[in-house]
This record gives sequence, C-alpha cells and structure tokens, in this order.
Amino acid sequence: MAQRLKEVDVVVIGVGMVGSIVAKELAAAGYKVVGLERGQTRFTVPEFQSPAVHDELRFDIRKALMQDNTREPVTFRNQGAQVALPVRRWESFLPGTGLGGSMVHWNGQTYRFQATDFQLATQTRERYGKNFLDPDVTIQDWGVTYDDLEPHYDRFEYLLGTSGKAGNIKGRIQAGGDPHESPRSRDYPTPPQKEHFQGAMFRKAAGSLGYHPFPQPSSNLSQPYTNPEGVKLNACVFCGFCERYACEHYAKSVPQTVILPVLLANPNFELRTGCQVQRINLDSTKKHATGVTYIDAVGRVFEQPASLVITSTFAINNIRMLLLSGIGKPYDPATGHGVVGRNYAYQTMSTVASFFDEDVIVNPFMASGASGTLVNDFAGDNFDHSGLGFIGGAYIGAVNTNGRPIQYHPVPPGTPAWGKGWKQAVVKHYNHTVMFSCHGSSVSQRQNYCDLDPTYRDAWGQPVLRITFDFPPNDIKMAAYVTAKAVEIGKAMGAKQVVGSPRKGPYTVTQYQTTHNTGGTVMGDDPKTSVVNRYLQSWDVPNVFVIGASNYPQNATWNPTGTLGALTYWAIDALKNKYLKSPGRLVSA
Amino acid sequence: MNAPAPPFARFAFSFLLIAALPCALAASATPAGAATPAAKPAAKPAAATPAASAAAAAPPCEACHGAHGEGMAAAHVPRISGQSADYLKKQLDDYAAGTRDNPIMANFAKALSEQQRAKFAARYAAMSARYIPQVKPPIAVHLARGHQLAFQGDEAKRVQACNACHGPDGVGVPHAAPYLAGQSAEFLASALKAFKDGTRKNDAGELMRSVAERLDDADIAAVTGYFASVDLSTH
Amino acid sequence: MDKVTRRSFVTTVGAATVAPAAALLPLTAPAAAPPAKSADLAEPPKTTYLFFNTAEVLFIEAACERLIPADESGPGALGAWVPNYLDKQLGGAWGAGERLYRSGPWQPGTPSQGYQLPFTPAELFHASLRAINRDLDAHGTPFHGMSPEAQDAYLKSLESGAHDLDGVPSGVFFDMLLKMSIEGFFSDPVYGGNRNMVAWRMIGFPGAYADYFEAIDRHGVKFEREPMSLAEDGHRNIHVRQDIPANL
Repeated sequence: MAQRLKEVDVVVIGVGMVGSIVAKELAAAGYKVVGLERGQTRFTVPEFQSPAVHDELRFDIRKALMQDNTREPVTFRNQGAQVALPVRRWESFLPGTGLGGSMVHWNGQTYRFQATDFQLATQTRERYGKNFLDPDVTIQDWGVTYDDLEPHYDRFEYLLGTSGKAGNIKGRIQAGGDPHESPRSRDYPTPPQKEHFQGAMFRKAAGSLGYHPFPQPSSNLSQPYTNPEGVKLNACVFCGFCERYACEHYAKSVPQTVILPVLLANPNFELRTGCQVQRINLDSTKKHATGVTYIDAVGRVFEQPASLVITSTFAINNIRMLLLSGIGKPYDPATGHGVVGRNYAYQTMSTVASFFDEDVIVNPFMASGASGTLVNDFAGDNFDHSGLGFIGGAYIGAVNTNGRPIQYHPVPPGTPAWGKGWKQAVVKHYNHTVMFSCHGSSVSQRQNYCDLDPTYRDAWGQPVLRITFDFPPNDIKMAAYVTAKAVEIGKAMGAKQVVGSPRKGPYTVTQYQTTHNTGGTVMGDDPKTSVVNRYLQSWDVPNVFVIGASNYPQNATWNPTGTLGALTYWAIDALKNKYLKSPGRLVSA
Repeated sequence: MNAPAPPFARFAFSFLLIAALPCALAASATPAGAATPAAKPAAKPAAATPAASAAAAAPPCEACHGAHGEGMAAAHVPRISGQSADYLKKQLDDYAAGTRDNPIMANFAKALSEQQRAKFAARYAAMSARYIPQVKPPIAVHLARGHQLAFQGDEAKRVQACNACHGPDGVGVPHAAPYLAGQSAEFLASALKAFKDGTRKNDAGELMRSVAERLDDADIAAVTGYFASVDLSTH
Repeated sequence: MDKVTRRSFVTTVGAATVAPAAALLPLTAPAAAPPAKSADLAEPPKTTYLFFNTAEVLFIEAACERLIPADESGPGALGAWVPNYLDKQLGGAWGAGERLYRSGPWQPGTPSQGYQLPFTPAELFHASLRAINRDLDAHGTPFHGMSPEAQDAYLKSLESGAHDLDGVPSGVFFDMLLKMSIEGFFSDPVYGGNRNMVAWRMIGFPGAYADYFEAIDRHGVKFEREPMSLAEDGHRNIHVRQDIPANL
C-alpha cells in the first residue's frame, strides 16, 4: 500500500542537468519542488577524484557510471519481425544515472543546431521537392524556430561557460569560427581550448581544400570562469579521461560544477535519491496528473502528489515513463497511428584513420573531451544535396578525445586481430595515427520506434523499453558520401595511409557509437504527429511536461546536448511566465 | 612591476655574505633567519656586465638553496634538490622574463643564458638532499586536514585533491607539477599565498590560483604542514 | 617477490559500494601482499591461481602468450601477468556476473543483439576450458605441448566458431579470452595485469596521472615520462587490489 505524502507544487523526475536547471528555476521562483533521482548523490570531492577516477577498465570498459543494466535494461531488435532481446551489457549507448545524470560523464561537446534543422521537413520540400525523400522517412518540423531558441542557447552556454569561437554574430561572419552557423547574439563565454596537434594538422589540411575549419566548442573550459549563477569552474588540463568519466578538476561543465550548489542550497527544493519512479499517476479523466508513485531504496512505495510533473529523465527513459503512465497514445508502426515512441532516432557515426610514419608524434592521450578542429562544410543542409539521394550530413573533425589503450590502439586493415603481427602494428601505430570522426545526422523513419517490451521486466516488475531501430538507407548513403570527403582531408594531411570506415548497417548494440538517443516524445504543432506541444507540454495531460532529447523529431548533425539546454530554458520560460500563472493548455490542439 | 617584493626576498641575506662568494650582494641589516615582513629587500645587486659575468663564477645558488639543494625553510627558500628539471628551468625562464616576480632570482636568471639555466636546472634535478624534519611539526588534526586536502580535496570549498596533479604522496609529476613532499611548509605557504594574492601568476591556466584562492589560512597551514611532513627518503 | 596470496584476495564489493568514498582507494594494500616495484623488470614471479585449476592454467598461460607474445617490443601476456589478471577477475565479482543482465528467457539472437547466453564469465570460462582440455586430451597433445604454429592453428579454429564447447560457441569463448587478455595487458596495474606497466611503456601511454596543460602545446614532440599507475605510492610501489567495483 503506497504511503501518500504531503502535496508539493512540482515533482521533477530525474535530477540530471535538465532536472537540476528546472528545479533551480522553479524553486527560485518560490515553488516547492521535489526532485526524485533513482541513483545516488555524488560530487566532485570525493567521488570524482583522480587518480582513482582515471581507471579505464572501471569506467570505460565496465561502465561504472552508467545506468544499472542488471536491474533496468532495454531490449533491442533491428526489425519489427525479430524478437527483441535484452541488451545484456551496455555498449552502443551508455545511459547515465545518479545525481547529475549523464552529463556528469559527457564529453562537453556543445553545439547548436542550425536554423534549417528546426524546419527540416519544410526546408527539404522547398529545396529538393516533395518526392526527394524515401517514403518511409518521417522527418518533421519542430514547432519552434532557431530564433525562438537563440536566447536560450545563449543562456545555456553561459551557464556552462562553453569555450569556443563564434562564427556568426548577429549576421556578421567572424574569422576563425564556423561560417555556417546560424547567427548568435554574442561570442562564447570563454575562448576556445588550446588546439591539439591532430586538430592543427586537420585545420591546415581542411583549409587547403577550401573548407572552413573551426575549434570544437568545449564545455571543458579553457580558463577559470564564474557563471551567472555564481558558480566557479577551473581550466581543463587535457587529461584524456573525459567521456565516461567524471572530472576531478571542476573543469567540466556538469550539474555539480554549474548549478547544483545553488539548487541544493534552496530550501524550496528537496532532493530524494534512491527513488525509482514507477509512473505518473492520473486521475479518472486521464487528462490530469495527480503526482507520481515511486519506490525508495528500502523498497517502500510512496505516492507524491503534485500540481505539476516534469519528466526530465534520460531520453529513452522519458518515453518509457509516458508509456508506463498511460500518457499519450503509444505508436503502432503497423497502423502508423499513435505518437509515444514514434520517430526514435540516433546518430550516424563514421570514422577515418590516417596512419603516419613514426616521425609524426601524435600524443593522442593529451586531449579534453571536446578538443579538436572540425568543418561543417558537409553538415546539415550546408551543401547542395541535389542528385545525391539523401538529406542530412556530418561534421568532419580531428576530435579525438583520448589514447586510453584498452580501447584505443588503431591498426591498419589487414592487421591480424592477435599475435605478433597485431602487437607489432599496435606499437607501430599507437602514437602515429590521427582519427577523424564523421558525426552524422539521423532521420526518423516509420519502422524505428520504441514501445514496452512484452516479455522482459525490470527489477521492479515493470516492462522494460523495447527499441526497434536500424539505420535508414538515407543515412547510410549520407555516411558513404561524407566519409569519402573526410578521406580526402586525411590525404591532404600527408598521411601514409588513409582508411575510411563509413557506417554500414545493420545497426548493432555491440559497438559504441554515441549516447545520442533522440525522439519518442516528439514536439510539434500537430497532436497527431507529436507527443508534446512547442512548450514541451503533453497534449494529453497539460500538467505534465516532458523535457529531453526525446522531444527531437529527428536528430541533426550535431551532438544533442546544446539544443537540449536551449529547450530546457525555453520550457522554463513558458512554465514560469505562462503555465504557472495560468495552468492549462498552452496551445489549442 | 609595482608588486610588493615576494616574501623570501624580505628575509636576511646577511648569512650569505661570506667574502668568498663571487657575486656581489648588498648586506641587509636584519639578522639571519628573523622574519621581518616590513623589511625592504636588500638593495639590488650590482648589474653584472657581460664581461663581469664572464669573469665571475656561477651564481651562488648554494648560498640560499643549500649545498645539496635542501633550501632554507625559515627564509622561505625552497628545497630544489631532485625537483623536476623542466619545472626548475621554467621558473628560471620566468624569473628572467619577469613573469615570475623576484628581483634577486630575476637577476641571477637574467645573467644566465637559456642553456645555462637548463644546466642549472638539470644539476639540481640530479641532486639528492636528506629529508629535513620541520622545526615545529603540525599537530595531528592539522596533519589529518592536510592529508584530506592532499588525497581528496574539499567539496564545500570546491578544491580538488592536490595529489591529482602533484602525484602520489606529492612526489611530483614530470612535465606537470613539482614535488611537494618534503618541501618546507614555510615556502609552500608563501607560494600558495602568492598565488592567492596574485603576486605570483606564472601558473599555466591559473591552475594554482584557482586552488589557492579557495583555501583559507588554516587550510594553507594544514596542507603545507602535511606535505612538509612527507618523508619519501625511506623505503 | 610479488605474490597475491589467498589472504590478499578479499571480495569486498558490497562494502566498497556502501562506503561514501568508495571511489577513492586508500593507498595502503588491504592485506599482506608486498607491493610490486614498478622499476623491477625481472622475470615475473609465479601467480597464485585462485580461479583456474592446474589444467586450465596450462591452457590459459600458453594461449594468452600466443595472443600477445613476447617480442622485440617487449614482454607479452606472461611477462605482463595477464593470466593473473584473468584469474582474479574471473574469480571475483566480474566473473560472477557484475554488470551483466542475467534474466531469461534466452534466445541466440542476431549478431546485432550481442551476447545472449546465460553463462557468467566464470561459468563460460570453466565450461569452455573443460571442453577444450577434454577435446585435446582425447586427441593426444594438450595445448601447452603443441608447437606455437599448432597452437595458433587451434586458436584460429576456436576463433572461427568451429567448436561447440559444451554449449558455448567457441567464437564467443575466444572473443572473451582475447578481450580480457587485452584488458589484462593494457589496464592499470592495480588489477594485477600490465605488470610494471610494460604495455604502457611499449606504446608510450603515460597512465593515470594526466595533467597535460603545458605539454599539449608541444606539438609533435615525444612525451617522455615514466608511466604512472593510479595505485602507486610515492616510492613507486604499486598496491594491487581486486575489490574495485564496476560501479561508483
């Protein structure tokens, strides 16, 4: 029997970056906010300290900071005709857990999407005609524009202290930045991080081919910084233990280093950890949430009533939360009806390896998570796709983040997988190889979706999320095209051997690609094709807001986190200035 | 540069003034070892002309830094024996360029060519001096606090563990951070205070300033007393 | 002389995860094992095996050395103590199924769906090694008695999935053996492999102490520094431990 607690104004499910920002803003506005986090507290001291944290086996291989897959896995299949099976070990994507969530162990690569991304369906139709796309592709416009989000992108970047060089300030192109970017109101809060050797080599080669290299925007800061919340960060020292690790130096922008000190000091906010939210509770009309039910670490069941519920868990977990709660109609690919779980997408990743002679010393281990130099000349809709048969693109960059040897020991094709030949090749190439990433967009298609698994359950007895996904043919074509361009840059670097590895299907969960899972609770103007409106408010249950990359109708070329920060501040604006002043539907259906 | 003289320059150098020393140094009135914060630094030594430098022998490092580079705790002169060669070289380069402020060290460093600075750095890096215990070792609770800052840091003050950069037991990490183990507490404290008040700013990325500005006097006493107590000479 | 004795093998996974500073490892070794000296590059001492029985050890030592052989660039699996790493991991929480979703039902699945067997790593190794040794005993020469060429041929046949090892497809066993051997070679020596950081020396990876703020500016210049373990103290002794959990 659930114990019913005293009602509060707001429940925030998941106290990662999104939950922390939302909770801080609403608590500061005077509302009583409870944050429910399934994981534990952890802070820079002592949990993130080195040298203990610089343990590749523990954090990289064994995924020590990640969601407990032994209790809460997902199931996966490529096609609807297959049986989905549990992802028994995380590899392809690595959902986080604990206070601060996935952004504790992110890489700090902080991008904006471009204006065209927010009207991708309209743009594609207007530029290439309405028959250009594969009929299975279900890309959509977002319901918001880049201009709507620009002040919120700015706010998020200044919260983080992101280090970068603007390419377009209010329409004026800035030398040294990305000329393709959509206009920003001002430069980044801190200057770009120092360029590593690989980035310098890339910049010269890409420049020689007429492309426009620029430094990767990094939330591993280039210098000490005090953010508008009054929280201070330090300069990053390029330790090469960024993604999958927590930063010991207070140099990576994570909730603990940018906002939690302020949030946790506000008595209007109460953090409860070890609390696994089971569902958002609805009243008999099913159009109003009464609060949430959760189970704590001791196994006790609680009902927490609230006037407003925000689900800000990791993207795929947001989808699951709505499905378990019966909010919104689940998507059925057979009929095409329903919306929750629809338009699940990912990221299309390819690589290029450039092998040099032993006189070229790369030192791959010296890097931050967002070190490097890249070009957007083949990203998004920055190039003419006429006749190419696909939309989307990839950024190409020497953005390698580490030289951690269990996983990083590049060898040329034809090298045996073990034995003397393997060992010799590892020695020969470890410090003389430059890796490029081709970080590509991901269109939605009608066959890719999420729902609840019919067979497998989590440790609390609830169905786990089932992911049905394979790379759309559009994206495979895109990957082949962009990888070929990247190979040319490798050759222009003067490498002895350049090997392109374009992404090929089928999608496999056995190889890490990114943790950029998007879609499933898509935002939009039409309730028939979206789960939330442009303010991230549920069409079905107006006192539920869903904030996450799950809102993206498709995934763009760039890493999703920057845009998620912008959407968070955009939604907070709507909550504080519209919804909380006058609760109800913000957009008529 | 109008910055106040760094602490150790205020201390007496009268004990140095053994006639045998080749380099001319003006006498200071203050007796050896006495702490005189208000005392002005000794008058600048006569600028050495190239001819004079050539004629003079090498700068009298031992006079302050000791015969084996063990330093002089009371005068805030650091132990430099076995210190990282590239750290020592960088300090000499910074003194010469003025990016680290100390009139006496600047003078010596400017009189050396870059090659000579590298030589001196290497000479001291290769030395090995005995551990010198503190005259007044810290009490247990300060040692514990210092150990905590060294190994763990302090979340409330947003200070990371010193050892993360300075190495296990503060032994130093080449090309990154100098050793702290066995360094004199007095010197370490003066260095932290100089980083904190901005009189020393040759730390790349303001890495030391970021730490020092968050430590209070009690923290500084604790962590410096702790590192001074770390004797790595025994096995 | 290094020795990880039975006394020093302490499974403290539960305790380690409850303690607030679980992530912060004390520098003193938990038991009586004398620490390894990082500068000591002499012949590795004998491992005290806790997981592998004698017959299994004979296969594992020989097989690992074929996967990562000693050569001009440096020691191989044996010199780097990779079998010791495997032994301690398989005998500990990882071998028992840490971070593995173990509920059924089970189906083989497609290659995209990854590992779908019910075996924990420990069970998989014991089952596979039992089948391998039985198979080789029946055909005459045990693995450790074969020539290196014959050993390589046998390993390739395992790799290709040519054998069913009492229910374990031999390719799955081989992949796990290779993966764990590479881990044992390149992981921090705290785990009992990569002895004296020989693998890190071989490639020039500097290890767990990693402040490169100034060095990153020296483009194209070799970074000369002894590798450093997260488990070494100020005297360069490395304190091996087996109880580091795969969670924070």
